Amino acid sequence: MISIQRRSGSSLRWNVVCFSAAILGAFLSSATLLALSGGDAVKAFSALFTGAFGSQNALFGSLAKATPLLLVGLGTVIAFRAKIWNIGQEGQVLAGAMMAYWASLMVGSLPYWLALSVIALAGLSGGGILGLLAGYLKTRFHTNEVISTVMLNYIVIFFLAYLLDGGPWMETGVTVAYHQSPPVNPALEWPELFARGAGKLHIGFLFALAASAFCAILIDRTSLGYDIRAFGSNPTALRFRGTNVRRLLLVVMLLSGALAGLAGAGELFGTSHRLRAETLLGIGSSGIVVAMVGGLRPSGVMLAALFFGALKSGAIYMRLQSGTPAGLVSAMEGLVLLFFLCAAVATKFQIVRSNVHA
Amino acid sequence: MLELMQGPLLISILAAMVRIATPLLFSAMGELVTQRAGIWNISVEGTMLLGAVVAYVVASTTGSPWLALLVAVFACALISLIMSFVTIVLKAEQFVAGLALNLLASGLTLFWFQTYVIGREPPKFAGFEQVDIPFLSDIPILGPVLFSQRALTYVSFLLPPLVWFFLYRTRYGLEVRCVGENPKALDVKGLGVGRRQCLAIMFGSLMSGLGGAFLMLGYSDRFVPDLIAGRGWLVVVAIIAGNWMPFRIVGAIFIFALLEAVGIHAQVVGVAIPHHVFLVLPYVASLALLAGLRSRTHQPVALGVPYSRE
Repeated sequence: MISIQRRSGSSLRWNVVCFSAAILGAFLSSATLLALSGGDAVKAFSALFTGAFGSQNALFGSLAKATPLLLVGLGTVIAFRAKIWNIGQEGQVLAGAMMAYWASLMVGSLPYWLALSVIALAGLSGGGILGLLAGYLKTRFHTNEVISTVMLNYIVIFFLAYLLDGGPWMETGVTVAYHQSPPVNPALEWPELFARGAGKLHIGFLFALAASAFCAILIDRTSLGYDIRAFGSNPTALRFRGTNVRRLLLVVMLLSGALAGLAGAGELFGTSHRLRAETLLGIGSSGIVVAMVGGLRPSGVMLAALFFGALKSGAIYMRLQSGTPAGLVSAMEGLVLLFFLCAAVATKFQIVRSNVHA
Repeated sequence: MLELMQGPLLISILAAMVRIATPLLFSAMGELVTQRAGIWNISVEGTMLLGAVVAYVVASTTGSPWLALLVAVFACALISLIMSFVTIVLKAEQFVAGLALNLLASGLTLFWFQTYVIGREPPKFAGFEQVDIPFLSDIPILGPVLFSQRALTYVSFLLPPLVWFFLYRTRYGLEVRCVGENPKALDVKGLGVGRRQCLAIMFGSLMSGLGGAFLMLGYSDRFVPDLIAGRGWLVVVAIIAGNWMPFRIVGAIFIFALLEAVGIHAQVVGVAIPHHVFLVLPYVASLALLAGLRSRTHQPVALGVPYSRE
């Protein structure tokens, strides 16, 4: 007789089985989706793989796409580990990019590395302030952070739309209006790590790696990290222990937003060089997926960011080779997340075979 | 002269308010029942989007808006089984499940949109027609505002009283509310908690699908991926701001609808303020409402807490 029982510990082998099944399930259902829409799944996925890992440039391209996802994912981990449901990453990425762009208009005369630091700090503070605002609404007015962060997303999106469409940052002197800013000062672009054009891997990648180490240490080895984890599992106990829960909540939202903001600044100064909503929207929601699929652990988030960065990077080549729309990757994100959610539950159970004589 | 101009403008704004409120009312009354059963389902936005997509596909292939509506509602009821499975059977974090459904819906929509809609000749599209109610639509001011709308708008007027009656005056409604407050009490009596939650999720989902389908078929002639544009989230805001009580929720919805209606008309009339200011108003108002109306006395105690018998 076979029965399903709750597992006492966790088993590495069973975890690998569950999560491999989840990835397989996501790929199979994506392939079904492609087949239903008349596409050639084998051709599309092989193009996707070639576009992501087929050459050195492709690999760098994947790392470049993974960079903002990693930063946003890490920020999400900090908030979600405390069970503070910050889903304002879209807005925080935009706010970081906007603040960085604003700063870049003023620091042209500074020495290069100082200017770069100011821009990075501006990115951090742009996202951080927006996160802090949602945190303040929660501590002061008990506004549910899920709702407030989503509403702030829309508010920031419309604010950027205003700035780039009739507002002060609109590109003027062109015949067609694209709702984008003029290019950033070329002297302030973030340096690329390898020869120009090699996948546009910029210094933000190093920032993201540093942020990964920072988050891993913060969560596992500091008292703030302990408080964050404790707040997620038992906030009442933390309150009785005398921890200033309000301050903790504000700090978490600040850090979470700041990392998303840095991702926005990096995309603007490292990759797109123009402030434009279309290039930034979607990074926030992908970053949330990365954090969840990465199991809310910095090491897992690094893997997940690479995986989804590769998907996004390969999607461009896939579209050229097989005509499959890049939107397939967005659908796959949702599918992977849903399958991982189920797999995460499955890891807590075991299948037991026993001989019961009735 | 000025007054002549203002009369029609006011009527037009109010009529727009009523039609904008219609899909929100459908979704909100469904989501209210879901939340009253203790399920913190934030996938309203995604479900409305799916409803709109299905309605668009069916309407543009068969030409019948009513069939499109029916299929959309049915599809969303089916989709709700995913939410039920993840939250009731697997007992996963409800917020995460809702988030996953939202992302899945927007991802699938984007893929479908890029495959089938973009860069093609838009299909001929027959939406719902305006239905004037005889005699009532001739009443000055009230007539054009309330009684010259789409048929489903009249249905949406009846919905809040019906949902109120269900929740507060029927046995099953009491049981659904009990699931949200004290599921153990129900379980001890031998009444299934999971079945009631599953049905409540399904009702919420199909109503959200109805709202999304109406948004598509009622007033648009083409599909855009951001058709829902945060309306599903405004519905959740309205429920919190309305303290989980049907008629207060209706009040919050009409505030959002009025703001949007004013915004549309300000663009048409040409007020010297950037139109983005009007577009952003409902979202700013929602934050203000949540900060101002802090009464959570009717929030279901077990909202978002998975029930397990231990």
